[in-house]
Amino acid sequence: MKRYGEHRFPGKLFVVEGIDGSGKSTQLMLLHQWLQAEGYGTVFSEWNSSPLVKETTRRGKKKQMLTPATFSLIHATDFADRMEHNIIPLLKAGAVVLCDRYIYTAFARDVVRGMDPKWVRELYSFAVKPTGAFYFRVPLDVAMRRILDGRTGLKFYEAGMDLELADEPEESFRVFQGRILDEYEKMVPEFDLTVIDATFPIEEQQVQMRQIVKAKLVQAKRLRVAP
Amino acid sequence: MRETYGVALPGMNLADLTGKLIVVEGTDGVGRSTQIGLLKPWLEQQGRAVLETGMTRSSLAGRGIKQAKEGHTLGRITLSLFYATDFTDRLLNEIVPALRAGFVVLTDRYIYSLMARAIVRGIDPAWIRSAYSFALKPDAVFYLRIGVDDLIPRVVFSRGFDYWESGMDLHPSEDMYESFRKYQTALLEQFDILGEEYGFDVVDASADIRTVFERLRAGVARVLSGEPREPLFAVPRPKEAVEEAPEAEGLGEAKAVPRPAPNKAGTVGE
Repeated sequence: MKRYGEHRFPGKLFVVEGIDGSGKSTQLMLLHQWLQAEGYGTVFSEWNSSPLVKETTRRGKKKQMLTPATFSLIHATDFADRMEHNIIPLLKAGAVVLCDRYIYTAFARDVVRGMDPKWVRELYSFAVKPTGAFYFRVPLDVAMRRILDGRTGLKFYEAGMDLELADEPEESFRVFQGRILDEYEKMVPEFDLTVIDATFPIEEQQVQMRQIVKAKLVQAKRLRVAP
Repeated sequence: MRETYGVALPGMNLADLTGKLIVVEGTDGVGRSTQIGLLKPWLEQQGRAVLETGMTRSSLAGRGIKQAKEGHTLGRITLSLFYATDFTDRLLNEIVPALRAGFVVLTDRYIYSLMARAIVRGIDPAWIRSAYSFALKPDAVFYLRIGVDDLIPRVVFSRGFDYWESGMDLHPSEDMYESFRKYQTALLEQFDILGEEYGFDVVDASADIRTVFERLRAGVARVLSGEPREPLFAVPRPKEAVEEAPEAEGLGEAKAVPRPAPNKAGTVGE
């Protein structure tokens, strides 16, 4: 069983992290377009995508039967399924794999829910260390404005309502996301995350991202896709 | 006060878990559920409220695991984590409330079976131990110990060889019998290692149902009367004590005086 940092694959793994409303998904989509145009075999791997565990997660959330520990473990199960059946085979095949959220999301979220930081890190130690991990840093107010505009309701766990931080979902969400931000900031030095200022114009952020990715791909053997 | 194996869970007050947590461990087909079926009414006759619980029965993940096993689609790490989720749901929603209410909780397997299964499937032992480090330390773990040669006839003459219990997912052999033998041997080895580490009370399960039950009952009585736990398996005793040790493996009669325990060799030897 290989641990974080011990895997050696021909493929490359890039991940984006940040709170909701940081614009990370937009940036990843733009990166995807560019990589494909450059001729790299590029694949998206989505969070919460395993059909088998999805059903259990959905039930748990719908019935609000998750505690911080089971919340953490069911998401770790889902992530492991993705790692074993999706990410690792793709990396072995030499693909460039893109992940919208990765283990750092779990670290932030689970620790805010009261789980032991070391325990969570150890739990996810089977994960492949990314070639590059981008953290989209954004002030809470900016993110809140982006999200709450045109949104009609926050989901129970999304707003962190299980933590009983506030009565109103919106206020709960604000406090919850604020704590998540604090956790991200702690992880920047710990995991050497590449910080992108998410208040900059979209194009500028993308230029930065492409430069960094390009530098990391220079030595990589390309997996050519048939036209 | 009750303890965990290292990590505390948010919002859990360990001080008010006043019940008793008793684990019956052992490999597939060794007779755990039969023994629990005997222990429960015996305890209830004495006026003890008993909660009986087991693996893959949680309301959260039980169904998912069943489906996963039918399809054989899960990876090793994923399956281990799915079991951990299920265990945690049961721990928090069944075991903890029952302990808080002062029940005797009889659990058919605990983290040790889950760890043993994971380790024989190539999971890093340190990783799986850490994953379960929030689990409550039980008041006693009775390990129904059996050799693979005694186990095989029981399985053959009851339900036959099962795909998972034969470790067929590991493909150690095309033949179900060979596979069962190899897999169970590896599993039993892990149980012995875990037994030492976690201080199991070893009960020789090759004896008949009645004899095993009498030993278990004596052990449970000792736990419930609040006598100090004797980790028979874990602590090697001085030589004199070993010589006085009863011939039978593991649990003997409950005695008022601290009973000399067999050393590791005496306990393990077959």
